[in-house]
Amino acid sequence: MSVKRVLSFPLLMLWHAFFWTYERATWQYDLWVIAILAFMWLVPPGWLGDPMARDPGLIAWIRALVP
Amino acid sequence: MTFTGAIGSFFNYPLRAIIAFCVRWQVHPNLLTVLGVIVNVVAAWLLAVGRFPSAGLVMLIANVFDYIDGKVARELGQESAFGGFWDSVMDRFSDIALFIGLIILYAGLHRTDYVVITALAMMFSVMTSYTRARAESIIARCKVGFLERPERIVLFMLGAFTNRMAAALWVTLVMSVVTVANRIYFTWRELNNSPKIEDRLAANLAEEV
Repeated sequence: MSVKRVLSFPLLMLWHAFFWTYERATWQYDLWVIAILAFMWLVPPGWLGDPMARDPGLIAWIRALVP
Repeated sequence: MTFTGAIGSFFNYPLRAIIAFCVRWQVHPNLLTVLGVIVNVVAAWLLAVGRFPSAGLVMLIANVFDYIDGKVARELGQESAFGGFWDSVMDRFSDIALFIGLIILYAGLHRTDYVVITALAMMFSVMTSYTRARAESIIARCKVGFLERPERIVLFMLGAFTNRMAAALWVTLVMSVVTVANRIYFTWRELNNSPKIEDRLAANLAEEV
């Protein structure tokens, strides 16, 4: 299998993810929405220097629960 | 059904009822558009004073007006070219008002970094609309790019309701930049009849091993 062929699949996926031509309410759209919500709710606000967030976020809560 | 489709269907029920109410009382769609802007300005003020959950709630109300105006116009048979133009212009005022609210908030907190991020997000959000409008004056259609107004509004509301406005702003900025780039590239490609990169990659995949 050629390198060109092996690289084509991930590149094609990335291309379709960023050069967006899909409609709303498709599975591709759902994947982006999940990724965005995960970023918003899982990344500790401290990492972004959020001036308003008062709580440490889901990841910090989970880490606090794990001994 | 996809999960975003299910959420859309769920919210469609109350919205249908509100549309039916407006049609029954013959509420003029342009009035609904103006009401949407006024309510968004209230939301912007709430953002400026840091009252995020209230701002989220007010944005929700404002965007009901934004969403239903076109549908009410259609059902009343009052669709017009001016109505479409008016709606687009008022949408830009609403968008910019919300960003200005956040700029006032972060400036008050002496957070120059977030003032800049919000200003850039505002610039690219406006450019997202502008690139499509300008492109569609020279090519037939330019509906590419992920982050359009409905996504932006939902991001703002989620950021406000869950107090994750900084993350919402980062997503808005990055995805708006990508969307503007998508539209510029798409328009260039349409005007120059250039080969599609995705076709070339797909052709590589289809090659015989």
